Amino acid sequence: MRARLESCLQSIDRVLLGKELQVRLALTCLLARGHLLLEDLPGMGKTTLSHALARVLGLGFQRIQFTADLLPGDILGTSVFDKESAQFVFHPGPIFCELILADEINRATPKSQSALLEAMEEGQVTIEGATRPLPSPFFVIATQNPVTQGGTFALPESQLDRFLMRLSLGYPARAAEKALLLAGSGRQRLPELEPVLDHAALAAIQAEIPRVRVSDALVDYVLRLVEATRSQPQFAWGLSPRGSLALLAAARAWAYLAGRDYVIPEDVQAVLPAVAGHRLRERADPAGQGGGTLVQWLLREVAAV
Amino acid sequence: MLAESLKGVRPRWPGRIVRAAGGVRLDRSCIFIVPSRVGLAFGVALLLMLLAAINYRNNLAYVLTFLLGSVFMVGVLHTYRNLAGLRLQAGAPAALFAGGQARFPIRLDSDGRARQALALGWSSGDLQLHDLPAEGSASVELSLPAPRRGWLPAPRLRVESRFPLGLMVAWSWIDPGQRALVYPQPLAGDLPLSAGAQEAAEDEGRQACGEGVDDYQGLRAYRPGDSKRRLDWKAYSRGRGLLVKDFAALEGSEFCLDFSALAGDGESRLSLLCHWVLDLSERQRPFVLQLPGQRLGPNSGEAHREACLRALALYGEAS
Amino acid sequence: MTTAKSGAALQPIPRVGLTWLLVAQLLVVLPHLGHLPLWIVGLWLGCAAWHIQIFRMRAPYPNGWIKAGLMLGTGFGVYLSRGGLIGLEAGVVLLIAAFILKLVEMRSRRDALVVIFLGFFALATAGLFEDGILAALYYLLPLAALLAALIGLQQSALAADPWATLRLAGSLLLQAAPLMLLLFLFFPRIEPLWSLPGPRERGVTGLSDSMTPGDIAELGQSGALAFRASFEGPLPERSRLYWRALTLEHFDGRRWSQVPEAAQVEPPLWEKRGAPLAYSIVMQPSNRPWLYSLDVAEGGPDDARLLADFRLQQRRPVTRPQLYRLTSWPDAQREPEGSVPALQRALQLPERGNPQSRAWAAELRRRHPEPEALVQALLGHFGREAFHYTLKPPRLGRDSVDEFLFATRRGFCEHFSSAMTFVLRAAGIPARVVTGYQGGEFNPAGNYLLVHQFDAHAWVEYWQPPRGWTTVDPTFQVAPERIERGLQQALGEEQGFLEEAPLSLARYRSIDWLNRLRLSWDNLNYGWQRWVLGYQGEQQMQVLRSWFGKADLRLLGLTAVAAVAATLLLVALWLFKPWRREGDAQQRLFQRFEKLLARHGLYRAPGEGPRAFAERAAQRLPDHAGAIRTFVELFEAQRYGGQQGAPGELGRALRQLRRALPWRSGEE
Repeated sequence: MRARLESCLQSIDRVLLGKELQVRLALTCLLARGHLLLEDLPGMGKTTLSHALARVLGLGFQRIQFTADLLPGDILGTSVFDKESAQFVFHPGPIFCELILADEINRATPKSQSALLEAMEEGQVTIEGATRPLPSPFFVIATQNPVTQGGTFALPESQLDRFLMRLSLGYPARAAEKALLLAGSGRQRLPELEPVLDHAALAAIQAEIPRVRVSDALVDYVLRLVEATRSQPQFAWGLSPRGSLALLAAARAWAYLAGRDYVIPEDVQAVLPAVAGHRLRERADPAGQGGGTLVQWLLREVAAV
Repeated sequence: MLAESLKGVRPRWPGRIVRAAGGVRLDRSCIFIVPSRVGLAFGVALLLMLLAAINYRNNLAYVLTFLLGSVFMVGVLHTYRNLAGLRLQAGAPAALFAGGQARFPIRLDSDGRARQALALGWSSGDLQLHDLPAEGSASVELSLPAPRRGWLPAPRLRVESRFPLGLMVAWSWIDPGQRALVYPQPLAGDLPLSAGAQEAAEDEGRQACGEGVDDYQGLRAYRPGDSKRRLDWKAYSRGRGLLVKDFAALEGSEFCLDFSALAGDGESRLSLLCHWVLDLSERQRPFVLQLPGQRLGPNSGEAHREACLRALALYGEAS
Repeated sequence: MTTAKSGAALQPIPRVGLTWLLVAQLLVVLPHLGHLPLWIVGLWLGCAAWHIQIFRMRAPYPNGWIKAGLMLGTGFGVYLSRGGLIGLEAGVVLLIAAFILKLVEMRSRRDALVVIFLGFFALATAGLFEDGILAALYYLLPLAALLAALIGLQQSALAADPWATLRLAGSLLLQAAPLMLLLFLFFPRIEPLWSLPGPRERGVTGLSDSMTPGDIAELGQSGALAFRASFEGPLPERSRLYWRALTLEHFDGRRWSQVPEAAQVEPPLWEKRGAPLAYSIVMQPSNRPWLYSLDVAEGGPDDARLLADFRLQQRRPVTRPQLYRLTSWPDAQREPEGSVPALQRALQLPERGNPQSRAWAAELRRRHPEPEALVQALLGHFGREAFHYTLKPPRLGRDSVDEFLFATRRGFCEHFSSAMTFVLRAAGIPARVVTGYQGGEFNPAGNYLLVHQFDAHAWVEYWQPPRGWTTVDPTFQVAPERIERGLQQALGEEQGFLEEAPLSLARYRSIDWLNRLRLSWDNLNYGWQRWVLGYQGEQQMQVLRSWFGKADLRLLGLTAVAAVAATLLLVALWLFKPWRREGDAQQRLFQRFEKLLARHGLYRAPGEGPRAFAERAAQRLPDHAGAIRTFVELFEAQRYGGQQGAPGELGRALRQLRRALPWRSGEE
C-alpha cells in the first residue's frame, strides 16, 4: 500500500516539477482527511497540483471558480421545477464531487465562502430542508491569492481554522523552471497520469492512519509546542485544541507516508509549518499573514525530546 | 557571597537571547541551601535546650532536643524538595516606554509535587510569593523600572523557598536572559516639518486625490475621526455597518520625522520623535522616520510604528 | 538582605499560625500546672482573651506602660509565690510567664517566632518535672502544635489550612523520629557542665533520716513505689532481701538518728565472702542522697560511696528516677576488727530513762555472758512472749522502750528493733538500728522486684568479734510471715492493708486481672525508666558495648554519623521517590548520548529532533554513523514506537557507542 502511495507521489512529481515537499504535504493532508488551502500568486501550479492529485488517486474532480457574483446555490445546487413530473427536482451543484478545487476562494463574498466551508466541516449539505451527504472521500483544495491584492474578502481566522494545512507552492527552482520551459507546461501532461489508487484503497489507508501510534512522550512534545504558543508573548493567540488535534492527525499521516507506524518528533516538525502557520499570528503584526517566523521559533526553541 | 556562584546555570542560559521555551529545571547543581536567620535562632534555642538536658541529666529534654534537631534536618530536605524539579521558563517581555515598569513574564511549572510559597524576585529583598499545585503552572510577572531607552536586560532572578518551617532558605539564581525593549519616553513638542511636506499639514484640507483603483486597499471598520467622504455608504445600506474605504498612502503627503532637523540633545530629540511617531500612527498618517544612517517608510500602520519605535529605542546602541 | 529579612519578619501573623500558637500555648502550659502558682492560669486566660480581642480589632495592643507594669507585676508575683527569682522552680515560672506575656504584645512574625521558641523551651522544662510514659506521649501534642504554628507562619495556601498544617507537622515529626532515635542512642551523655539543682519533689513519702516510734508504721500505709530492682540471675529468697537505706546510731531515749561521724571519708573495712549478687536498681525520687543496697554493696553511680556505717550515699539527692548497678556480698565479713570510735558510738545510750529495760539487760547479761547467747535469748523472748505485730501501735510516752517491752507489747518493726538495740547496748553489746526496706513484690511480667513504701522496715545489727557486724531481725520472731510473704499477709484480715490509700492499686492485689494489669503497667514504666530515662552514662556505655563489642569513641562516632547519614538518605528517598521517574530512563539515556556527542563538539539545539540530530552527528562522525543510528533508532522505537525492547538494550547500544567513540575528537 505504501509502495502505491510512493508511486502516487512520483507520478505527481513528474507533472509538478521541483515541489516534492509540497506534494507530499498535500497528500498527507488528504490522507488525514483534512482540507487544503493553497495560497499563491496565479500561475504557480495550484490547479495542476489539484488535478494531478485527483487523477492519481482516482477521484472525481470539479473546479469551482469563485467570483464576486458566485452564489451559494452555484456551489451547492438548486431545485428546478420539472414540468413533466410537475415537481421540483434537485440539481446537485459542483460540490457533490470527491475532489473540489475552490479556485480563488477569497474573491467570492463571505456568504458563498461560508456555504463551502460549512459543507467542508460537516461533510453534508442541507438544501431546502433536505440533507444530502457529500461523497466520500471528500477533499477540498481552496486556493487564494495573497490578500494584498484588491477586491478580495480575506478568510477570517475562524474559517482558516477549518483547513488542516495551508501551503504555498512558491516560485519553482531554477532547474525546475528550466525543465518546465523546455518540456512544456505540466498541465499538458496531465492526461498521461494513470490512477494509482482507487476509492477502496484510499479509504483503507485513511482508516489506518488513526492507528499510527502516538506515544506519551510525543504528546508531551505536542503539548509543549501548544503551550508555548499560548504562553509566549510574541503570539497574538495560541493554538486551539482543534489546532493541536490537527497537528497530531497530520503528523500521523506524515509518519504513515514515511512508512512508520509511530510518530516521531520530526514528523510533527515536518507538518508544523503547514498546519500551524495559518493559525498563528504575531502579536506585533496582528494584520499580518503569517506565523512563519513564529513557527520557525517553535521549531528552534521548543524542546523536542 | 555564596550566591555569586552561578555554576551550572550559565551554559543553559546564554544571556544573548531569550531561551525561554526550553526553560530551566532547578536541580542540585543550582540550588543552594543554608539555615535562615530564623534557623540560626532555632539552632541557638536547641543549644540552650541541650545544655539544660545535659545539666539536668534529663533524657526527655534530650529527646525533645534531638527530635527538634531531626525535624530541622528533615526540614532541609523538605525545603530543598520544594524547589528541586521546578521548571522556569522566561517569556519575552513586552516593549514599553522609558519611565515605565518593564514586566518580565516568568512561567513556573511544577512536576508531580505541589510547591508552596515559592518566592521570586530580582533581589532577596523584594520577592513575590506563589503556590503551585502538582502538575500545575503559574505565570508570574516581575516588574523592573526602565529609566532609559534601549535594551533593558533582566537582572538575574532569585527563586527562593523557606517552606515549610522557615528555618532553611533554599535559593537559586537564574539568568533569565530576557531583555525588554524600552522606547524613548514620548515628549510632546512642536515638530519642524521637513520641506515639501508642509502643504499637507492640516487634515481638513486634504484631498482625497488619486482615488484610483490601484490605491484602493479595501474596506475597514469606521473609527471616529475618519473622513466622512470615504465612508462606504453602499455597504452601510446593505447593513454591513459603517465601513471606510481605505486608501494606500498618498505620495507627497507624508510627514518626515527627521532627527537631524531637530534641535536639542540626542535624547530629547528621540523623545520628541517618539511622541510624533505615536501621534501620527494614532491618526493613521503615513510618515517617514529619518535617523542618521537609516530611513524608515514612508508607511503607516502598526508594523511601521513598531519598526520606528524600535529604531528610536535602539538608536546609537549596538543592538 | 537585611531589610528583606526584617521586612518578612515584621509581617503580621497569619490566622492559622495564631490559632495553632494559642492551642500550643494551652498544651504547653497544661503539664506545668502541677507546679505553677494558680494565678499563672488566670494570667494565661486573660492574655489569650486579650490577644483574641486584638485579633478581632476590638482591643488595642498594650502600650509600653502596661507592658512594663505586667512584667513587673509578674516578676513580683513569682518572687512572692516562689520566694525568689533564682532557681529552677522560679525560673520555670518566669519562663512560662514570659511565654504567656509575650502573647499579648505579639504583633509580627518575629514575635510569633519568639513565642514558639519559648514554647519549645517551656516544653523541655516540663520534662524535668514530669517524665513518665504518658507525659512523654502527651508532649508530642504541644510539640506538633508548635511545629504547626511554625508552618502556619508561612504565606502559602497550605499554611492557611489548619489541618493540612498539622498533618505536615505530624509527618515532619514522623520522618524525624528515626533520626532522633539514633541521636538519642549515640549522643554521649556528658557530665553536667555546671551543677544545677533539680526540681524539688514535694510531698515525697519515704524514710527520713531519723526514726521515732510510729514513723515506719506510718509509711506502711503508703502504696507509693520506693524502687525497683532487677537481679542478674535468680531472685534471692525474700528473707535475705534487707535493703539498707540508713544506719541509725544515736538514741536520745525516743528518737534514733544518724551521727555525723559516720559520714567520714574513710571507708569501712570488710571482706568479700560467699557468692556475690549483681542487680540494678531504679530508685524513685526521694530527695535524699542515700541509695538502697543489699549488704555489702560495691559499685553504683560515680559519686556514690560506702560510708563508715555501710550505707551507700551519693553527693546529690535523688530528685528523679535514678538507675544504678550494684554488686553485693551478703555473706561478707564486716569490720571484723572493729574500730574503736565506731564501737563506742554503737554503745551510746541516753544517761537516764528506761530503767526497767536497763535492769533487764543487766540481768540478761548476767545470765548469758556470751553475747551470742544473749542475742538468742532476747530473740527467744520476743518469740515466746505475747508480742503483737500491728500497724497501729499505741502511743508511747517518755520511757518508750520500757512501755513497749513491759506494758503495751504491741508494735511495728521500729518498736522491736529499737527495743532490741536498746537492750543490747544496755547489756554492753555494740548494736545499731538499720532502716530500709524488706522484701518486695515480684513482677513476673518483667522479672523484677517492686519495692513499695509499705515495705519499709527497721532491723538490728550488732557487733561481736570475730564475726564483726551481724544482722538480726526481731520482727521475724513476732511475725515471720512479714519477712517471708510480705506486709499484707502479716497483717492478715483483721487489719486493713493500705486502708488509708483507697486509690492505690496495690491495695487490690487480690483481684487477679487488676493485679496483672497493674504489674504489666508497672513493667512498662520500669522499662521506660530503665531504658529511656535511665539511658545515661554507664547504661549507655553498656548498651553500646553490648552492640559494638567495645565502646571505642572513634568507632561509635563514625557509626553514629554513618547511621544518621543513612537515615537521612532513606528519608530523602522517601520524600523524593526517584523511582517515580523510572519512565524517564530512556530520556536519561538520551541525555547521556547527548553528553557523549557534546564531547565531540556536537550540541543538539533544543528544538532538534533525535533523528535529525543523529543524522547530523552521523555526517560529522562517519566512522560511527552505524552506532549512532542504531542507538537513535532504538530510542525512537522505544520512546515513540512503544516497543518494549529487552531491558537494558538501549543502555547496551549506548555503551557500544561509548566504547567505539574516542574520548574526545582527536582531529579537532
